[in-house]
Amino acid sequence: MDHEPQRTLATRLLVLSILIAMQAAAPDAKAIPAFARKYHTACPTCHNNWPELNDFGLAFKENGFKFPTDDEDFVKEPPLMLGAPAQKEAFPHSIWPGELPILPIAFRYSGYFNYNRPQPPGLIAQNGYVPATDLFEPNTFTIIAASSLGPSLEFWIDDDLATGGSGADGGLGDAYLKANNFVGYYLHVPKNDLNVRYGQFEIDLPFTQARTINLTDYAIYDETAYVNPTGKGPLAGTTANPFTFSSPQRGIEFGGYPHHGYTWWSVAVLDGENSLYGTAPLSARNSKDVYVNFWQGWNLERNPAIRKMIQAAGPTGIHDHTWIKFNAFGYFGRNDLNQGGTLYAGLPTIREPFYRAGGAFDYRFRGNFELWGLMEHAHDSNEALNPTGTGFVSATPVTFSGGFLEAEYWFYPWLIGLMRYDGVNSPTDRLNGISRYDTRNIYSPGLQIFVRPNIKLESQYSFGYQQPVPGGNRFYRDNKFISGIDFAF
Amino acid sequence: MTLFKRIFLPAVAIVTLGSLTSVSWAGDVKGKVLAPGMRSPENIAVYVDAIPGKTFPPPTQHAVMDQHNLAFAPHVLVVLKGTTVDFTNEDAVGHNVYWPAINRNRKLAHNMGTWPQGVSKPFTFNELGDVPLLCNVHPEMSGYIIVVPTPYFALTDKAGEFTIKNVPSGKYTLTTWAEGAKPVTQAVNVGASVASVNLTVKR
Repeated sequence: MDHEPQRTLATRLLVLSILIAMQAAAPDAKAIPAFARKYHTACPTCHNNWPELNDFGLAFKENGFKFPTDDEDFVKEPPLMLGAPAQKEAFPHSIWPGELPILPIAFRYSGYFNYNRPQPPGLIAQNGYVPATDLFEPNTFTIIAASSLGPSLEFWIDDDLATGGSGADGGLGDAYLKANNFVGYYLHVPKNDLNVRYGQFEIDLPFTQARTINLTDYAIYDETAYVNPTGKGPLAGTTANPFTFSSPQRGIEFGGYPHHGYTWWSVAVLDGENSLYGTAPLSARNSKDVYVNFWQGWNLERNPAIRKMIQAAGPTGIHDHTWIKFNAFGYFGRNDLNQGGTLYAGLPTIREPFYRAGGAFDYRFRGNFELWGLMEHAHDSNEALNPTGTGFVSATPVTFSGGFLEAEYWFYPWLIGLMRYDGVNSPTDRLNGISRYDTRNIYSPGLQIFVRPNIKLESQYSFGYQQPVPGGNRFYRDNKFISGIDFAF
Repeated sequence: MTLFKRIFLPAVAIVTLGSLTSVSWAGDVKGKVLAPGMRSPENIAVYVDAIPGKTFPPPTQHAVMDQHNLAFAPHVLVVLKGTTVDFTNEDAVGHNVYWPAINRNRKLAHNMGTWPQGVSKPFTFNELGDVPLLCNVHPEMSGYIIVVPTPYFALTDKAGEFTIKNVPSGKYTLTTWAEGAKPVTQAVNVGASVASVNLTVKR
């Protein structure tokens, strides 16, 4: 058996895995000035700190990018009607006719200044040279199109036109069509309880990565399970699962938000292919993954009159009151390797089921303070070549766990402080030489300033974990300072 | 006695009636406000400034400042000192009302809170000056309450024209308030007929 191509592939995967785990990637975040133009309303209507959605923004999004009540009254730039409203009388049980939004386009630019702690030579040899200072890296320009398409349809498309440098290609983020209440209407399900989304999208994570306010990804969202597909890594087995929570997925999602949004559920059937980080043919597979997400929230306003008023007004009646929510989520999939004997000629496909399961909480004190956290456990089945090389046997599963805790405080509507902790416990990563200890801790304080409602200056300092320096008994802590400018128009 | 009855008493009566009539004479003050360099001459408050020695009881009827279609309505509301204003919300979204100052005095800043559709909250304005209204939910919203010392006030229409009705005769000072412009004062003499005034406000 020729192992050279396998080693090359394995090396690529390992480096990829390391990069995913370590790299301070620019979040693929979104904000939609097109809606501000349509309704003649400012960004804080939907965002207290864009692109993070506030209560109203969430209700607006879930209602098909429309005001949850009396939407037509608020529209200042009405869409082009594709058919007279009276057509509805001819076809009362359809969603026809629709509407064509007037140029629902928005743009976003973000560029960061990075200061990286100088690397020791051993790491430079392994990972490549990273300059201590780096201006406008990544340098991302994004186009966003999103709108409602009539009473019960919405669409969203965002694409990074350029990222990382002059003319460099970006990638398609989310691109989906969503039917709000349409299926539920025929099934006689109450409004908002059943929506359907179809296309490519960030799965309904407990806390979004695509619309994060942070300058770096949540570490646990980027964590992968990796041993070595060739079976020649430090651990026995073949696991090389490219799945991460931070990448968009293709699939179909059912979801809803009963009880004025205090309950939130979604179930998605997904292709499971990790289109950004997967390396074909390893990530190509026929099986489908399933993701479930469930939130339950409680109104914590202490004044009974205010509490009742909020309950009576619904999700958009009172802006950002005090509440707490608890969450449970789970992702169940299977990673296939060696289709057609690409890794081990003559041997069958390796099928390695995996799951990610966890819980989260989110506490908000009115519009001033928010504290949220997530904990996750990951488990990947791990198949190893048997001693005779004629098949596969179960090896020690690959597991990791971790999460994050983050607080956000509004000193003023334009000045926001952040404090975040990321922790990942992965013995496999330690054995792969990614970290000194099983647990990697990252502490990231940050400050964000809105110089204009649509222009934000951001800064974050990350105090990283120790990683071994190749070629010696030395360790390096990848601390970095990131500041950036971010604006949408 | 006859002469007294025939001449003096009617004369006294005429003089008395005449003086009483002169006290109750009231006229209108009409005029136009020019606003060169400004977007519109509409919604400029014109009012009779404080009259020494005179105070006016506030009206028992409340004034209303509504929030409708993501806007304060009216955009400018002029009220007599001591008037209670009911802040209402007609929108199907929550609104907040706060003001960072009254007459640029930041110590008088106040946050009324946030409330949903159909709820009304009152506030009595006992301080003179302009009250810039904001909504911290929708930063694009703005409105003004102008608290004035006399009940003689008006708002300009789209053409910049105004009428202050039933101003007792006398000499007064007219004052303007316009969004983003400096106040202008002008003396006016109100008699039995309509007093015409032209004012010019500038940024």
